[in-house]
Amino acid sequence: MNLFWLLVHKDLRAELRRPEAVVSMVFFGFLLLVLLNVALPPGARLAPESAAGVLWVAISFAAVLGLGKTMSREKDNRCIDGLLLSPVSAETLFAAKLTANFALIAASELSIVPLFFVLYGDTFFRAPAVLAGVIILATGGMAATGTLFSALTAGTTRNEALLPLLFYPIVMPLLAITVKVTGMIFQGEPLAQYVSWLYVMGAYALIFTGAGMLLMRPVLRQ
Amino acid sequence: MAIGRQASFSGAPEAGFLAVREVCKEYEGRRILRQVSLSLAAGDFLVLFGPNGAGKSTLLGIISTLISPSSGRVEVGGRDVSQDPERYKRRLGMISHHCLLYDHMTALENLLFYGGLYGVADRRQRAEELLRAVGLHRRRHSPVAGFSRGMRQRLSIARALINDPDLLLLDEPFSGLDQHAAVGLQEQLANLHGRRRTLIMVTHQIERGLALATRVAILAAGRLVFYAARPQVTAADFKNLYQELVGAPPGASGAEKR
Amino acid sequence: MPERIRDNLAIATAWGLFALAISLVFFYAPTEKVMGVIQKIFYVHLGSALAAALSFSTAFIAGIAYLTKRQRRWDRLGAASIEVGMVFTTLVLITGSLWGRPVWNTWWTWDPRLTTSLILWFIYGAYLILRAAVPQPDKRATYCAVMAIIGFIDVPVVFLSARLWRTIHPVVIRAGSIDMAPAMIVALVASLAAFSLLWLILLRQRIKALELDERLFSLEQRLDGDMP
Repeated sequence: MNLFWLLVHKDLRAELRRPEAVVSMVFFGFLLLVLLNVALPPGARLAPESAAGVLWVAISFAAVLGLGKTMSREKDNRCIDGLLLSPVSAETLFAAKLTANFALIAASELSIVPLFFVLYGDTFFRAPAVLAGVIILATGGMAATGTLFSALTAGTTRNEALLPLLFYPIVMPLLAITVKVTGMIFQGEPLAQYVSWLYVMGAYALIFTGAGMLLMRPVLRQ
Repeated sequence: MAIGRQASFSGAPEAGFLAVREVCKEYEGRRILRQVSLSLAAGDFLVLFGPNGAGKSTLLGIISTLISPSSGRVEVGGRDVSQDPERYKRRLGMISHHCLLYDHMTALENLLFYGGLYGVADRRQRAEELLRAVGLHRRRHSPVAGFSRGMRQRLSIARALINDPDLLLLDEPFSGLDQHAAVGLQEQLANLHGRRRTLIMVTHQIERGLALATRVAILAAGRLVFYAARPQVTAADFKNLYQELVGAPPGASGAEKR
Repeated sequence: MPERIRDNLAIATAWGLFALAISLVFFYAPTEKVMGVIQKIFYVHLGSALAAALSFSTAFIAGIAYLTKRQRRWDRLGAASIEVGMVFTTLVLITGSLWGRPVWNTWWTWDPRLTTSLILWFIYGAYLILRAAVPQPDKRATYCAVMAIIGFIDVPVVFLSARLWRTIHPVVIRAGSIDMAPAMIVALVASLAAFSLLWLILLRQRIKALELDERLFSLEQRLDGDMP
């Protein structure tokens, strides 16, 4: 079996056996959706852009919660040393962690996104294929950034507290673009209106995957 | 004192399988290793003694490539291991202070996972074999989370042997083992040595160490203060020598745990 | 001590340059017709922005140099430039806000350049938080180098994303042509030079302070009874 799939399989099996990460992510995302709904005046509807903001606040907060998990599992019993002793390259390790994190975030989105439409109105539900594409691009970018930072914060004593402080400033531009684009989808604007932003999102995911591959080795070694 | 030949501290260069060349390590403002050089022939069994904080674990870490030296290098077969680390690591096994096992996976799953990492051909059979050898075959389907320290240590030994390494590094492998398991490990190590594997072991246990060693080294305050082919002496004589070189009897600093 | 003389000389030159720049700004450059005297803050605004940009590029290069060479001086350079860069980014935000109040009638606007500065302020603020959170110098140097590199890579995306907010920022420097009176350009060049020199002096002072910090740390380690 390929090393990459071996590592991904190990992480996902851990999650399937005891879905700690996904359950807490979905729970937290749901909680945020309800909490943010309180800000709405009774009977009022959110503008499409604001609704998009609510959705991505919920998803990204849930994502941060899950991102710390796959790396902190390697910290117990210093399993990370076992990986570093083996012939696995840091690049393969990064790619595998990225894939596992992507899968975790995507799994949480499968619940958070439908819950959003239930709570905030299904009139926003337009162009599902395009929306799925936007979600995949944004998730890729968040997972790439988060994977590198979770490896980094796992080496500090304040890992859980530090991760969001490093993660959010860096993904802020990606989230800003994602919210704007999602808002345009909710509004029913044509694809041509925002397709160039999708390229920027794709470029972000690619650049940060590349940077993570290069920087994973120094982050993990002393 | 009738200690074999007191070989030069830079090690005997004719040996040829593994060479540590003038390795220094500074980390977080401390000089942990200073100019450590030694070399081993294939099939050697080096036992490394020294007080706590002498840099023994760091030296093993550098040989394993887990830690990169500040200067100097480690060579295997005349080639710097940092040139092609993946190839080197394929032939390496290590037992460290930590068990490096996944708590949520069973004993067998852990071994299968590590077997996969090393691309072991028939990893299922190899894993079962090793589980039998360390006496954990009956518990192979139990998650590691419920294992005692001794069981973890035994599984850790099996883990380190999964790829049938040419070079095995052992950091205090006897810790946490009961008498029975310790004897079992000692036999296993002697067996590996008999099959011309190269071993480097750090231990506080002078008798056990001397019984297995073909070479002995003492590390104190980051320096190799003694390095020689196995002295043909009793443990008592060796302890005297140790005390002379280190300034404290073996195990005296063992009380101050890290 | 030639080093001390050189430092003092640099500081004296900086004083001179600032005096020159300020007199040029107020007595030589014409007052802008539409915005009035408030436009003069622009010379400080752009000078700070230049110093901030210098800082973050320096930190990026220092980060790469540290990861390849593993010499502590690259870490000191990176840390010093981010600290100094934070000060200048804060100045950019404050002067931008002061400028915007009378001109756009609002303290804050989500204009691309201001937004970019604000996001950069967060990114490099995160760098300083990370720096404070890791006590081990070698580990800290590695992590901070990674953060500086990632932060810098993020800048183009930050700028692109900031364009999504509606812009009311004056585009002063267009490709090819400059939209200013020649006297204004003279004053601008003088203040940019003054700010660059100030940046260099502050950077050097911070590097020295970090050097002393490290020396203190290793002395403390020795006192704690560790190996010398």
